[in-house]
Amino acid sequence: MGFVRLVVFGFVGLSILYLCISVYSRSVRREKLEKAWDEENVGSDDLAARNAYVEKGIAAYNNSFRPKLIGLVYVIPTVIVMVIVYTTNTN
Amino acid sequence: MHRLKITFRVIAFTVFGLFLHYVLPQHDVVKITSTEIIRTDFSGFNRIFYAQADSGAVEQPTRDLRLINTDKKKTFLLGFMPRDKTEVMVYRNEDTGWIWPPYFKFDSSDLQAESASVARGDSWAVITHYGWRVRWASIYPNAIAVKLVDSPDVRVIPWFNIFFFGFLIVGIAFLRAMWMQFRERSIDPLIDSAEDRFDEASADIAEQKGRVTRWLGTWKKKS
Repeated sequence: MGFVRLVVFGFVGLSILYLCISVYSRSVRREKLEKAWDEENVGSDDLAARNAYVEKGIAAYNNSFRPKLIGLVYVIPTVIVMVIVYTTNTN
Repeated sequence: MHRLKITFRVIAFTVFGLFLHYVLPQHDVVKITSTEIIRTDFSGFNRIFYAQADSGAVEQPTRDLRLINTDKKKTFLLGFMPRDKTEVMVYRNEDTGWIWPPYFKFDSSDLQAESASVARGDSWAVITHYGWRVRWASIYPNAIAVKLVDSPDVRVIPWFNIFFFGFLIVGIAFLRAMWMQFRERSIDPLIDSAEDRFDEASADIAEQKGRVTRWLGTWKKKS
């Protein structure tokens, strides 16, 4: 029973963390894209072009390998738990 | 207000520190003198300082508790400064199971056997444990592992705690960065637009007022 509880609550907690990190990472990327555009087009008022540039960058980010790395949020704690289980229970 | 804030912070920090001191592993240099089992009837107060029944067994209001009796080397500063004196220390030996605290210990019986075997000799051992010994409430620290050592002057490096605190600092910095980003990108624009709207609204009101006063002014005597 304890094991089931650990898996369920662990999954819920890690999913919340996963969502937070992916939103954060995308937000940082969006800010970077906006700043890059503003630097290259100083004084430009073309909001449509700016939006298109940012959306293209976000789409490229979504298709890249980086967001998949956030999946490590599930892997690392599982590995740590397995290591602790092993080291605690061997003598 | 300022003083209240400081008091609140000090209390929060102390509680968090005590919590970590209870839960994180510590190492004691001991001579195991004997092992025993006593029956325990928990009270409502000291129940939270014990784990549950052995994993795989059923929980009952009363159960047997494995204890490890030792002579422990005294220390200063949470074990960082060893002393020559020894004191008596008793550890409980319970499964922590799958949940809390996350030591995932299922081998209490094996640990008891190990301790019994160490108790037969006269050698020093390092006991890894968490928890406190509180005599007036019959609370014992929980032993996690026993390791034989050659002499009582061993230097144990707390690797787990080093990594734990490193990770804690990184985690807090990361959460802070996440929160700042969220505030900068999501909350501040909302507040800004709300302020803009408020400004526009009050400008409107001012203008209307102006119109009314101007209209009223036309009724005034012109001199």
